Amino acid sequence: MKPVAFSSWNGKIIDGRKGLPKGKAGAADIGCPVPKEGQKMSALMGWNGLVVLDKNADIPSLTLAYLKEARKLSCGECSVCMIGIDRVTALLKDMAAGKADKGALGEIEEIAKGVAKNGKCNFGRATALTPVLDAIKHYKNDFLALAKGGKLEEKACSVAVTAPCMQACPATLDIPGYIELIRNGRFADSLDLIRERCILPGVIGRACTHPCESACVRNDIDEPLAIRLLKRSAADADLQAGGCGLTAPKEEKKQKVAVVGSGPAGLAAAYRLRALGYPVTVFEALSKAGGMAAVGIPDYRLPKDILNHEIDLIRRAGVDVRLNSPVSPLDWADLQKKGYGALYLAIGAHVGTKVGCGGEDVQDGGFIQGAEFLRNLSLGGKVTPLKKVVIIGGGNVALDCARSCVRFGFKEVEILYRRSRKEMPASATEIEEAMEEGVKFTYLVAPANIVRQGGKVTGVECLKMKLGEPDASGRRRPIPVKGSEFVVKTDLIIAATGQKPDTAFLSGKSKVGLTDWGTIKVDEATLQTNVPGVFSGGDCVSGPATLIEALDAGNKAARSIDAYLAGKAFAPELSLKGLDTKAQRDSGFTAKAGAAKAALLNPKERTAVFAEVEAGLSAADAMKEAARCLRCYRLMVWE
Amino acid sequence: MVAITIDGRKIDAKENSTVLENVRSQGIILPTLCHHEEVSPFGACRLCTVEVKANGKWQLATSCNTPVAKGMEVRTNSEQAVEARALAARLLYSKYPKTKAVRDIAGKLGVAVADEKDDAKDCVLCGLCVRACREVVGACALTFADRGLGRDLDEPKIDFTADACIGCGSCAFICPTGYVRMETTGDRRMIWDKVFKMATCSVCGRYFAPEDQLAFISKQTGVPMSALMTCVSCR
Repeated sequence: MKPVAFSSWNGKIIDGRKGLPKGKAGAADIGCPVPKEGQKMSALMGWNGLVVLDKNADIPSLTLAYLKEARKLSCGECSVCMIGIDRVTALLKDMAAGKADKGALGEIEEIAKGVAKNGKCNFGRATALTPVLDAIKHYKNDFLALAKGGKLEEKACSVAVTAPCMQACPATLDIPGYIELIRNGRFADSLDLIRERCILPGVIGRACTHPCESACVRNDIDEPLAIRLLKRSAADADLQAGGCGLTAPKEEKKQKVAVVGSGPAGLAAAYRLRALGYPVTVFEALSKAGGMAAVGIPDYRLPKDILNHEIDLIRRAGVDVRLNSPVSPLDWADLQKKGYGALYLAIGAHVGTKVGCGGEDVQDGGFIQGAEFLRNLSLGGKVTPLKKVVIIGGGNVALDCARSCVRFGFKEVEILYRRSRKEMPASATEIEEAMEEGVKFTYLVAPANIVRQGGKVTGVECLKMKLGEPDASGRRRPIPVKGSEFVVKTDLIIAATGQKPDTAFLSGKSKVGLTDWGTIKVDEATLQTNVPGVFSGGDCVSGPATLIEALDAGNKAARSIDAYLAGKAFAPELSLKGLDTKAQRDSGFTAKAGAAKAALLNPKERTAVFAEVEAGLSAADAMKEAARCLRCYRLMVWE
Repeated sequence: MVAITIDGRKIDAKENSTVLENVRSQGIILPTLCHHEEVSPFGACRLCTVEVKANGKWQLATSCNTPVAKGMEVRTNSEQAVEARALAARLLYSKYPKTKAVRDIAGKLGVAVADEKDDAKDCVLCGLCVRACREVVGACALTFADRGLGRDLDEPKIDFTADACIGCGSCAFICPTGYVRMETTGDRRMIWDKVFKMATCSVCGRYFAPEDQLAFISKQTGVPMSALMTCVSCR
């Protein structure tokens, strides 16, 4: 990347227009987003400044293009933002038409500063006119030239819009957009917008790990928006109104698509392809659809009627979901003969990985994998409560097993984790709720051997751990303490230390390649495997991840498969990875107001049943919460 | 009570009161377009902007939706605050130069306002009708149309859902510019683009309220329609 000619990104001025650039900074070095290699960029105007690569770039015309896009994003409700954008646009056009002189620049400056200081939301304060101010300050002569016959052109520029929450969301939902619709009481419109990228809104509104909330700008003021609960409120409002159907495809296409696995990745891809008009068949090995959402997340976190309703809608949209239909061994040539033009493998990661302790291969029922335990429960299996159960692991699967055991009536439920609470991957809320329910947590302990007496598990021999240097995951590595062996007595051990995909069905004819980790190998951009026409995504590619990441994989795969079947090159969405969207020059004053909280069943009531622990927000509370959103849309326009 | 300072004066403010209430109780005049005591604050017209000291520095804040806090310092007459209010007024005037309510406020805030006989009665998007309909009446017939990412709407506006409207006229009453028009003639009332049939008082026989409004009240309160058919004067 060549050095920039000028940059005001993040308020830091680099000016290399007179003679050689002083620094050697390229656009990427200063944190400004750059298009993919091969694409040209002469100048970029974004919420955080102006970046010029080609010193001959036409900055006034770029400014005009920016104002046009900014006007589209402005909600128009406060008196300064949209009217300010309109006024600045008019002044620029007046200058170019010879109707205004350099005095207009003074007015533009005054308006831009005023909007930044006193806009109602962060769009007005940070995005609307901030870079325009930079442009007229540092490219004053270019603007003055307008009044002397210079040209102001309407140019077609590239545009990208994001927000800190959107960027944190694996599926890049338009979060400020659907929150705004809720604020205005438009729950149905909000749900439509959510569904454009999240086809399981009720499920995600309950079980998402909500990285968006960690990225929310209000973290620095009071509390993040309750984004997950707002999504749920849109889904709940629809259910209360009777549950409306999904949009039917506009056209019918001939080529059929097969999807293996009905988890979030499979369902998302299936529905998106169906919406594009493809006939889609989903093959599900189990007797229930939903993948990990069905057989991995217990009812108290995600009631299955919610999931089933959302799967029903997908079915009613025309997706043929076939249960009890394992595709094993995979015969792609045979499927092609049956008319399938593309195949999407979304089989998840349902096989527990080994803990690495002695005696775990003995099949006596005293040692079981967490994923298998939860799957059996969801498929109607019964569990006889014993006195004590030990769960090994610190992720959400471990927590789901522990809290399920509490509900089955195990007297003692203990989680053993080899690091400390700080490194635990399970969500903080899950851990707190489990503690309220009486789950015991023991940290810095790893199992070494399963103790059996008379053919029955009686305990697990453990080693104490201490934390060493951080490992590849960034978490401190647990190191065994020599001679610290001790035995934890227990009747049942559940291992929840990780899962991998069951790829046995790929051996033989399929030739689909795997990675060293045992996951399915795909091209990162197209999600296509080494076999043309066969795509894959979700947990079976990434390893165990979140529902929303799986949905994103499904969305992406649908776009890629559509391009493949249409014989077009696949153009992935612009990646804004690594872009600091949180930074803004002046955030202004925002009165503090805590977030809306959902009511929880009290711990005593909740441990007796598998009833949903968390209640949703009322419509009024959801609208009030939505009004807390600062609408931090970030706009970038470049040519 | 919460001790705050406004323009150097120490004041005991009520708990949970807003800065605007306290500013006005001091006799300081801050004209507004989007504020009304009966509905929640919205902070859209930016005409009540003052400065509050937050995190050690003076920052602009709209007083209508800023709750008081212990030890809060407020200044209404600083250069920054006065300029911010004037800019909001100027921008509003540039957009709605023929609307009397806007012209009056702009004039008060030092904007050079040209003479104008007409009153265009524009909708200035203050949202008072939306909030009155939702919060006071409970009918929710009015809502902002949404602009923004991927939504192709050139001008912001307020949408009217005829089915939900009960014809009570609260929106017309609260509208600061006269944009919302309500006309009642004989047994008909027209509001937005909907025509309502008026009910007659069972005692004096005058038309006194839209039938839809009485039906709505009956449904909300459980009082039978027959008990609502008397006008205020005859009750």
